[in-house]
Amino acid sequence: MAELSLKNVVKRFGSYEIIRNASLDVADGEFVVFVGPSGCGKSTLLRMIAGLEHITDGEIHIGDTLVNDVEPADRGIAMVFQSYALYPHMTVEQNLAFGLRMTGNPKADTDRRVQRVADILQIKELMQRRPKQLSGGQRQRVAIGRAIVREPRVFLFDEPLSNLDAELRVQMRVEISRLHKELGTTMIYVTHDQTEAMTLADKIVVLRGGNIEQIGAPLDLYDNPANQFVAGFVGSPKMNFMSAEVTATDSDNVTLTLLNQGNVRLSLPLKNPPPAIGDAVTLGVRPEHFAKAGEGVADLTIAVDVAEHLGNTSYIYANVAGGEQLIIEREESRNEIKTDTLTVAIKSSHALLFDKTGNRLR
Amino acid sequence: MQLRNRAAYGFLAPYLMIFATFWIWPIISSFLMSFQNTRVNPWVFSLGANWGRLFNDPAFYNALKNTMIILIVQVPVMITLATVMAVLLNSPLLKARGLFRFAFFAPVVVGEVAYAAVFRLMFNLDFGIINKLLNSVGIPSISWFAEAPAAMALLIIAVTWRWAGYNAIIILAGLQSIPGDVYEAATLDRVSKARQFIYITLPLLKPIILFCVILSIIGSMQLFTEPMLITNRGGPGGGTETLGLFLYRQGFTSLNFGYASAIAYTMAALAIVISLLNLWVGRDQK
Repeated sequence: MAELSLKNVVKRFGSYEIIRNASLDVADGEFVVFVGPSGCGKSTLLRMIAGLEHITDGEIHIGDTLVNDVEPADRGIAMVFQSYALYPHMTVEQNLAFGLRMTGNPKADTDRRVQRVADILQIKELMQRRPKQLSGGQRQRVAIGRAIVREPRVFLFDEPLSNLDAELRVQMRVEISRLHKELGTTMIYVTHDQTEAMTLADKIVVLRGGNIEQIGAPLDLYDNPANQFVAGFVGSPKMNFMSAEVTATDSDNVTLTLLNQGNVRLSLPLKNPPPAIGDAVTLGVRPEHFAKAGEGVADLTIAVDVAEHLGNTSYIYANVAGGEQLIIEREESRNEIKTDTLTVAIKSSHALLFDKTGNRLR
Repeated sequence: MQLRNRAAYGFLAPYLMIFATFWIWPIISSFLMSFQNTRVNPWVFSLGANWGRLFNDPAFYNALKNTMIILIVQVPVMITLATVMAVLLNSPLLKARGLFRFAFFAPVVVGEVAYAAVFRLMFNLDFGIINKLLNSVGIPSISWFAEAPAAMALLIIAVTWRWAGYNAIIILAGLQSIPGDVYEAATLDRVSKARQFIYITLPLLKPIILFCVILSIIGSMQLFTEPMLITNRGGPGGGTETLGLFLYRQGFTSLNFGYASAIAYTMAALAIVISLLNLWVGRDQK
């Protein structure tokens, strides 16, 4: 087990910067998830920690050791790959033991460790099979087993569940979480799926275009996103964004006009320096943060496009002017939800405000 | 027969006729011919004239021995060389990869007569570049065409030069089908590059290498051009006469078609047996 820290890590291919000044501290035993859209650099960052990619600048420490120039094999890490990367010509048992056998680990110890992993992952009956005789979930289990057997200081997972079907993904997600509790080892996990990030992480690192946008606990990110990107990325269904214009300000409040909702005006408390009158801003409200008509700072009447009834809750989809779409969650009885128009209220307590560059104003 | 089947056979008919005339019939005809004495007129059935002679003919055993020497020495050397070439071609460190790939493959597309002529010149006793190079490091000139072992070595060098690159390209395709993250996993498993090659690359390449070995065995069994053109009709004194050349000499110089047919069937049977043996040795052991 070990803590890990990145200090101003940069990765450049020619003049193109893949990772810009990434700094991060991971505590011993912490489960950290790198999340972001495709091409944001999250896998590159993971591979740099593994030593499979060189870093252009900055420092990576694992435990007390600066590992910039330490070979991947000597960093005390184990990695689970998206494609599993099992040795296709070896049985499960050989896959698990290969690394230990190659490094001359005593046979008795190798056998003990392989048996322990087989117990933990419940793959005993698969030991003599080859990877092609296994299902996707079983292969993933073996890949995780191969990482555990090395007893690493840090586990790295590179989108390990993205090749599995939805049901298996949920099941494996729970297993990985259980494994983390059982082993207590530092784990770093890359995914583009914010649900995985929210459910697994002690700490989430949101990346975009090679920049770390925000680091925080899942619920902190959900409740207090640093900017519009994080607000939109974390949470499912996504936060609603409504274009607005600042029409009045005073020392404690800002008054907006929602441009695509029939110029509805609303006033929100604002402690930060207010934007100038006439500035374009974006109002962000999560689907579950709409109140019943009359119970908020402003009422919106929307034409219902589609209503999804999930049983315990319903999602109302509405297309509004300017290509914006609103998603509103209603927990009241599905029979009470009108199917043509709906009037809901925006609650000031949960409404976020962003300037036109996406920075958060409130 | 349904109309669409009839149409299909109609379209296939020209090919099937050519196939039957020039493939099926010769195979059957030569099999029958191998049981006939074709040195008398009319031909008569005789088991001893061809098959009996085959087992007692020192010239046949000489050709068989030469072919086997080439098979046993040349095929392993060439496949090893081809594997090394493929690994080098696959290396990310290699610059101008396309050029090297072409260069290694080029010998296959060079005309056989041209390549034979160039080899004869290169290995010429008096003014060939090979002897000049040997002399420059203090080795006396070798009479490549006058001494049987030297002529055999020359044949092996020539065939290896011609076909190593071709096999390397096939093995390269196999190498490129091994996913890179398997090696990354092995690197993280603390497995050295050399051990990765032995324990990951070679086992995963086995089916491809086996395929190349079998192609090469079949090629060696039929070897004809090189002993015919480079070592001057299997010279010196039959020292490089292969089964292919022996068959040609019996069939088309002595016009003994029955005997040539028996030799042809023996060659085919040997190629099949050796290939099956190879498949059996290289089978996946569960």
